[in-house]
Parts: sequence; structure tokens; C-alpha cells
Amino acid sequence: MTGSELSQAVDQMAAPTGAKRSSNALVRSLIGGLVTALPVLVIGLLVLNFAPTYYTFLALGAFVNLIVVVGLQVFMGNSNIANLGHSAFVGLGAYGVAILSTPLAMKKLSIPNAPFGFATLELDPVSSAIIALAVVGIVALVSGKVISRLSGVAATIVSLALLIIVHSVFLNWTDLFKGNQAFFGIPKVVGLPWMLVFAVLAIVLARLFKDSRWGLQLRASAQSPQAAAALGIDAKKLRLMSWVLSALICGLAGVLFAYFAGTISPKLFYFQMIFNTLAMLILGGMATVTGAVTGVIVLSIGLEFIRSIESGVTVVGIQMPQLLGLSGVALGVVIVLCMAFRPSGISGRHELDELVSLLLRRNAK
Amino acid sequence: MDYALQQLLNALAFGAEYSLVALGLAVVFSIMGLVNFAHGEIIGVSAYSVFLAAALGLTSPFVAVLLAVGMAALAAVVFERVAFRPVRYAPTTTGLLTAFGVSIVVQNLFMLLISPKPQSVSILNGLNQMWFFGPFAVSSLQVMELIVSGLTILALVLFLNRSTLGLAIRAASRDFATVRLMGIKANRVIATAFAISGALAGIAAVFILARRGSVSPDLGFGLVLKAFVACVIGGFGSLPGAAVGGMLLGFIEVGLLVALPQEYAGFRDALTYAIIVALLVYRPEGLLGQRIELGDKEI
Repeated sequence: MTGSELSQAVDQMAAPTGAKRSSNALVRSLIGGLVTALPVLVIGLLVLNFAPTYYTFLALGAFVNLIVVVGLQVFMGNSNIANLGHSAFVGLGAYGVAILSTPLAMKKLSIPNAPFGFATLELDPVSSAIIALAVVGIVALVSGKVISRLSGVAATIVSLALLIIVHSVFLNWTDLFKGNQAFFGIPKVVGLPWMLVFAVLAIVLARLFKDSRWGLQLRASAQSPQAAAALGIDAKKLRLMSWVLSALICGLAGVLFAYFAGTISPKLFYFQMIFNTLAMLILGGMATVTGAVTGVIVLSIGLEFIRSIESGVTVVGIQMPQLLGLSGVALGVVIVLCMAFRPSGISGRHELDELVSLLLRRNAK
Repeated sequence: MDYALQQLLNALAFGAEYSLVALGLAVVFSIMGLVNFAHGEIIGVSAYSVFLAAALGLTSPFVAVLLAVGMAALAAVVFERVAFRPVRYAPTTTGLLTAFGVSIVVQNLFMLLISPKPQSVSILNGLNQMWFFGPFAVSSLQVMELIVSGLTILALVLFLNRSTLGLAIRAASRDFATVRLMGIKANRVIATAFAISGALAGIAAVFILARRGSVSPDLGFGLVLKAFVACVIGGFGSLPGAAVGGMLLGFIEVGLLVALPQEYAGFRDALTYAIIVALLVYRPEGLLGQRIELGDKEI
């Protein structure tokens, strides 16, 4: 297995990349991305048409997690560096649109003293989202400059430092972010259909990046830094690129979350989100986009089940006590067991479409 | 003058605590490349065992200190045996994520089995008094922190330099395979490293308990994040680097405490981390870390 990506990278660099060949590869990975997104689309449409409101709400939350996990996969899966700070970008996206698009009447109640004239500014949801994503992009570019230069472990610690910096600014800059209190009154403009569109878009984007020459080169340099450097692959530049793309996808998740929930608070974008999404990615398998999707589907359902036990259920007429912390224990156990027994997660090394074509070929023989 | 001295002592005491915890992380990392996120939960286990012992009727602070250090060392060895042995030869990221998982499990177990709310522990409060030296009033806890940390680091240096096992640990951080060829058992070296790391965490736990007088599930988590940062500034895996990084972090924090006006006090953590990230722009390998180019032979 070692070096497989590397040899592919050599092939791609050595062979004259004809226009036809590269467009073929593009179509293949586009179709691959759509196939990966298919289960998500099916579940989304089922929920949209048949599920009661409560489950629609749960599904919306799960879709936000899905986009975050796909964003996380773009960096972690390709560079093989653990990122523990991605929820900072989710938070930045969410607070960005909250500050820009909340109606003025609401702002008088929530952030009357906001600096830079934000208290008297109200933009439409689309341009707010674009500006919020631009801010996320800038923060990602600056932090990425530092992170892409560091070795694996130090990069992880700095990603964590970034999370703490951003969280502490949310908490303490009360004039702009409302501190510990909930920021309410954000226009609720996103429903399940838009969420589905963006989830599919994120999945396809992640897949396109993974299959692109940059993604391939980055994966090669994660496998063998020395050999990749010898081929002239600039790992720092590629790490920066995947970091920014990953942050933008996470920021998009934050924007969508704010637009569907209408109310946000800093603690939503802190360690709890990191734990959840990281466990999802690890369980599904971080090497593939399919893994990200699988992990979210399995763990969202599992966690919902555990949460119902956690809040105290009635078993054969006996009221069980509240078991706070049970879902946390389950998440941790999932991570530890996965790492010990199946580090590549449920889906392993193959994307869904690759698995399907493998199966078809085997049956044809 | 009095104020300046007080703040200097403050910085030294904070720094000493960060150094202790950072050294524990570095000992384990230098040998087996494990980024032990569960180190904070070792502090947690130690603190909660003192809490339980006090609840069961323990009154002697001396016994409580022994218990804290002993339980921490034990917890570290148990974590290694249960969770980290299966991933011993796995890539760094795998070990890091495993440790992160262990940390989540243990934190939530405290929440599930004891309580999500902070619980008060008063048994070690006696360590925290004011001492008067002529015109100066100093906190006994800070003085003790400084002295005990100094002695502990001295003992660690002596152990690593003078004993066979210590020598084996230092050698293992360079080339584990050769150490095993010399007839040293890998499990013994690693268990010893974890026990040392745990004992250092236990000493830190005693000071935390004496200062806060309470335990909570996330007791050690924040401290360990800071210790990680200390390791990164010093150069990851370098023991002197961890000690220096810890001290530097203490001085940066207290410096900001003095320099920042009251209304910006909340930004102290953010600024501390920002300063450190800025330091890393200039020295990505840390202050005492060596710059290793790809393909360089170590040593």
C-alpha cells in the first residue's frame, strides 16, 4: 500500500497531461463525487417528504455536521495531520452572517454598541454569506501560513491554539459577539432543500480536490515526505491550499447553521463540536470522502439513540436516572476502538464509486 | 518593588507548574512519539482519588499528597497498558487521536460517575497560606511550587543520567531498536516513562487542588493544552525545551496579566496563544528544537 499514491503522482507528473486525459479524469471524479453524495441525497429527500418536523430539525443538524466533517476530511484526509481547530471556522462563518444580516430592530436589542458601524448595518443574506466566507478565508490564509510550515504534531497544537483564540474572542468581545449569551434574531432563510444542495456541493468539491493533481501530490507527500520532496512537490503550499479549502467548507457549514437555527452561541463551536465531528470522521475513515459521509450517517443515528438514553428513559415502567456524559463516553470509545482495531475506519481506502465498480468487475468475471 | 517581586514569584510559580506538566508530556513523546492528550485526565484521576479518599474519611494531607502522586503514576501506566499499547507502532496521528479519545472517555466518566458539577476538596487547603518575610507577604503555595518543581526536575535529571533505566529511556528516545538489542525490555522502558510522566502530573495535581480547593471533570484539560503549547515553543520532544517553554509561558501569562487593563483581562489566553504562534513563525522547530531537514541523519 505504501507508495501507491506516490507512484500515481509520479505517473501523473511524468506523463504529458493531454487535455483529453485530464478532462476524462475530471468527469470521472465528478461522477464519483455525485455517487458518494447519492445516499445523502436519498436520505435528505426521504426526510423532506415523509419525516415529521422534529426529525427534519435533527436532519438539518446532521447535515451541518456532514458539511463540517467533509471540510475536515479535505485537510486531515489528504495531509494526514490531525486538525483540532476546525470548529473555529464554523463559528466564524456563523457569527459573520449573524453580525451582518440580523435585522436592525433585533440588533438594537442584542448588539447596540457594536463597533465599526455594524450596529446600523443590515445586508441581505447572500452578500452577508459571501463576506463571512471571505473573512473565514482570510483567517484561514493567515493561520495556514503558520500551520503549513510546522511539522505534524506542532501543527495540531497550533490548530488547537487557534480554536482557543477564536473562542476567547467570541466570549470576551461582548460588544460585537454578545459574549456568552445566545445571539438571536438571525434570519432563518435556509431550509432542508438548500442544505441538501450545499451538502452535495461540499461532497463533490472535496472529491474533486482529492482527485486533483494537488490532492494527489499532497497525499503522496503525507505518505513519504522525502520522496515527494525529491519529486519537486511543494508540500507547504499544498497544505496551505487544503487548509484554506477545508476552512471555507467549515465556514459554509457555519453560515448554513446560523441561517437555519436563527440563534447561535459560542459554546456550540467549541470542543463538543470537535469531539463529535472528529469521531464521525474517524469512524467512517478519514482517507476518503465516502468515509466522512458514512461516519456522519452512522454516528448521527447512534448518538441520537444514546442521547435518548442519556436523558433518562423508562424501561418496563422503571424511570432510569439521567446519565449525563454517556454520549461523550460513547464518542471516546468509538475513537479509541477504531484507532486500535481499524485505523482506516468503516470505508477503508476506497470511495463508494470505486467499491461499486470493483464489485461489478468481480461479478462480470 | 514589592509588587514586582510578587509578580516575579507569580511567573516563576506558574512557569514551574507548566514545566512539570510539559516535562511529563515530553518524556512520553520522546520515547514513543505519543502526543498524550490524556495527560490532563491523569491529573484528573489523581485529583478525584483525593476527593474520594477525603469523602471516605481521609484527613491527613501528607497521605493525600502520596495518594495523589501514586494514583497519577498508576493511572498513567494503566492508560498505557489499556489504550496506548495497541497503537504503539502506529503513526503519530493515530496515537494522538487515540489519546484524544481516552481523554474524552475519562472526562465523561467523571461526569457520569461522580458529577458534572465541581466538587469541593478542602483537605489540601492548609498548603495555601501567607508567609511573611519581614515586609514581604508571599503565598506558601507558590514558594513550595517553585522548590518542589526544582527538586523534581533535579531528581529527574539525576535519574535519567545516573541509572541504567534512565539511560535506557534516553537511548530509547534516539533509537529504540538498539536499546532492545542491548537486552532492555521495551515494556519496562515505556512503563517507566509513563510512571514518571504520571508522577509529574500527580505533583501538579496536588498544587492545583491546594489552589482551587475543588475538582471538576475538565480540571486538567486546560492545563495540558498550555503544557502542549509549552512543548511546542521549546521544541517538541526535547526535555530541556519543555522546561524552558513552560517557564516562558508562565512569564508571558503573568506579563500580560500585569500589562493588560482590567477590561481586557478576558483576552489574556487569546493573546498568550497569539504570541506563541507568532514565535513559531520565526522558529518553526521551537526554541531548543533542532532543525532537521528531510533525510538528515539524527545526531
